[in-house]
Amino acid sequence: MENVVAMDYFTVAIVLYLIGATTLAWPKATELAAHYAGTFCAAVASGLVAYSALAYMTCPACDAGTIVNVKWGAYSLLTDYWSAAFLLLTGTAGMIVSIYAVDYAKGYLGNRLRALTGLWNIFILSMVIVLVAGDAFTFIVAWEVMALASFLLVNHESSKKETVAAAYQYMIMTHIGTAAIMIAFYLIGSHADSMSFSDMMHNTLDDNMRSIAFLCAFAGFALKSGIMPMHIWLPNAHPAAPSHVSALMSGVMLKVAIYGLGRVVFNLLGIDFMWQGILVMVAGLISAFLGVLYASMENDMKRSLAYSSVENMGIIFAAFGCGMVLYSNGNGILSTIGFAAALMHCFAHSFMKCLLFMSAGSVMHATGSKNMELMGGLIRKMPYTAAFTLVGAMSLCALPFTSGLISEWMVLQGYITLAQYAGTPEMRLLVIFAFIMLGLTGATALGCFVRMYSVVFLGRARNEIAEKAHEQHFFMLLGMGMDAVLILLIGIMPDMLVNTVQEVFGGAMMMPMALPLGLLWSGSGDYSLYCPLILLAIFAIIVIFTGLLCYKNFEVKDVTWNCGTYPTARQQYSATGISKPLRRAFDYILQPVKETVKIHKKRAYHGQRFNVRLSIPDLFHEKIYQPLQDLIVTTSIKFRAIQDGSVRLYIGYTMTAMIIVLIWGVLLS
Amino acid sequence: MDYLVTILVLLVFLQTRIMDLRRAVYCLSAQSAIIALSCIAIGLGTGNIEHGLIPAVLTILVKVIFIPGAVLKIIGELKNEREVVSDINTNSSTVAAALFLVLGYAIVGRVMPDAGAKDVISASILMIMTGLSLMVLRKRAVMQIVGLITLENGIYLLGLLLTRGLPLVVELGVFLDVLIAVVVLVILTGRMRLSFMTTDTSIMKKLKG
Repeated sequence: MENVVAMDYFTVAIVLYLIGATTLAWPKATELAAHYAGTFCAAVASGLVAYSALAYMTCPACDAGTIVNVKWGAYSLLTDYWSAAFLLLTGTAGMIVSIYAVDYAKGYLGNRLRALTGLWNIFILSMVIVLVAGDAFTFIVAWEVMALASFLLVNHESSKKETVAAAYQYMIMTHIGTAAIMIAFYLIGSHADSMSFSDMMHNTLDDNMRSIAFLCAFAGFALKSGIMPMHIWLPNAHPAAPSHVSALMSGVMLKVAIYGLGRVVFNLLGIDFMWQGILVMVAGLISAFLGVLYASMENDMKRSLAYSSVENMGIIFAAFGCGMVLYSNGNGILSTIGFAAALMHCFAHSFMKCLLFMSAGSVMHATGSKNMELMGGLIRKMPYTAAFTLVGAMSLCALPFTSGLISEWMVLQGYITLAQYAGTPEMRLLVIFAFIMLGLTGATALGCFVRMYSVVFLGRARNEIAEKAHEQHFFMLLGMGMDAVLILLIGIMPDMLVNTVQEVFGGAMMMPMALPLGLLWSGSGDYSLYCPLILLAIFAIIVIFTGLLCYKNFEVKDVTWNCGTYPTARQQYSATGISKPLRRAFDYILQPVKETVKIHKKRAYHGQRFNVRLSIPDLFHEKIYQPLQDLIVTTSIKFRAIQDGSVRLYIGYTMTAMIIVLIWGVLLS
Repeated sequence: MDYLVTILVLLVFLQTRIMDLRRAVYCLSAQSAIIALSCIAIGLGTGNIEHGLIPAVLTILVKVIFIPGAVLKIIGELKNEREVVSDINTNSSTVAAALFLVLGYAIVGRVMPDAGAKDVISASILMIMTGLSLMVLRKRAVMQIVGLITLENGIYLLGLLLTRGLPLVVELGVFLDVLIAVVVLVILTGRMRLSFMTTDTSIMKKLKG
């Protein structure tokens, strides 16, 4: 009975997405109606997707393909626990962000709003289809639709020059990634009976080709998730897109890449060599640290959040790699810790990054800017947004009672397990390196979000735009609030989600699975290593008692002492100022460029004014992509010599080639 | 068949010498008529008259009447259009055609020494190459259309000979293909005349960015 329900709901969801997509073609007069209808469809459909995935995962008797099992020629749709987990993630995030979009996207009224809503539906639908694809064709087609829809969404504000540049950069990068994935699928599929995943599982690829296929798949999926050398599109594309789109791109689309990597690693290739796991792990660790380092340097809110996505995807990759290393070491059961940590962090990051992008959108909506240096004191103007953002920021810093702590704690636990079963001294060294990187990442993330929150929401308004800010509309607050509640819920009662996530690796996946040590949570008996509920109770009691005891003593209200003058907004720490120590400590990596221009020279000795511009060029862009681009341009210019523009010359080339072939044929025979 | 091939080769050589647009189209029309006749001849040779007759009728309709008619119509709209200043004069294209004929015989001799209709195969290679060289050496758009049809005729003749009659669907496809290509080319030529006041394709260099 349950099965039928899940399947029906899923079908209804697909139909609803398609109905939502028709808003592309609604007449212009009904723009607002189209927007409401389309967003409603997206929200309800996403909720249904989440519900059917949840029903499937919590139903022990269900077998693979319960959510959807369709076959049409070479194309097929099929689900297992791994896809169901991501369907749950996509559905939840899709529903919440769609609710947020009801009010947020209204700001685009008269600015191709119908296209925005229709593409929004197509975008979520394509991600859902990627997750349920049962063969390589369907996967690639849906993957491309996803790339195109997100490209068009990023390019929505196409009147801005930098938006178009960012969108095209994204387009090029994502196509390189798709090419790599296609090579991997082709390599595997050419040694299997057909392109369906169930046949590709039994491929007969030899070890060398298997490694190449793995490298291609890794490159493709890492590019889509923004792992460090391939991340350059991400900090440009996310700020350029409308905020709800960046929320979904960061919250869900990057995770879909993890899904793909997991599909290839678990089902198609298997984990044969330890170097594969180490590669994933090291790439993840490096992008985790560098991502958060760049995030704490940015003054643009959304750019900073985008770099923070790089960081979190790095953590997910690190956890995933940890699981792969454990598995290839022969600790199949223990590897579940790594994979479960990766999946758990996917969930946690999805919730918190959606929330923070939504609140960045609210701040942009209220002030019209995303430059942190112009904000300040927004907590008084928009208290709800500030509260929700605080939850998200706490979660991103992995503070207690939030989902961020749960997942990062699981990641660390995976590494502790790895340290225990490392085997060789080299491996132990690597684990130590991993701990150092994760520790640095966590600390820097804390700094980064303390900086962002304090500069934007606390203190005094730095600019008049922050003074004119106002609280947001109901649906925007509702969306953010739902995410904040989810984060707190999982943070305080993690056992629901964690047990479900562990179920993923116990079910249809190839791992033989038992509940491994130390992964039991509150309510399950023996090993409750971290029980947030008890901690929260103790914490609450302490707070209440201290509050009661010291209530009177805190009651002092006065202006901050400032050497006898009243403090002004300019005397606050600026965003650039807070991150200065970090910039100095890591200047050999960041290589900040400072330009000082004297703009005012009336008097010789005082009253001089300077224009100081500080920029932090992306290391990989400067060292890899810029030289590569220059090389391509110079070689192309050389090739221009044979491009005369004359039609006859081009036909002449064809003719010459034909004559050469004919003569060659004569000489050979 | 031998006479037909001889006349065909003559016509192709004549094509390389004609500079006047209208005469080039007449020559093309005659060439296509010969192709239609050879369709019938091959059909008679294989004893399957239907397979010869239908393509022959189609060839006459499309390549002898319709395409030359359309090209002539566009020529009628052009004034003072003549292949005047060619980079390479007619003599060199004739010499090139002669070389192609030699090349064709060389290929047939080497590649398929025991093929029956050596003359026809080498004639079709001659047509293909000459068609291409016409497109390369002539500047006027109309002359390039003529070159394209010559090339197309050569390919068609070769296909006809090697397969002893193509399936009807394939033939229809081939004709439709040419028809549409020529319709597009005629329209483009008309647009070129409107935009540039000439159909000299070397003017297209200006479009290069």
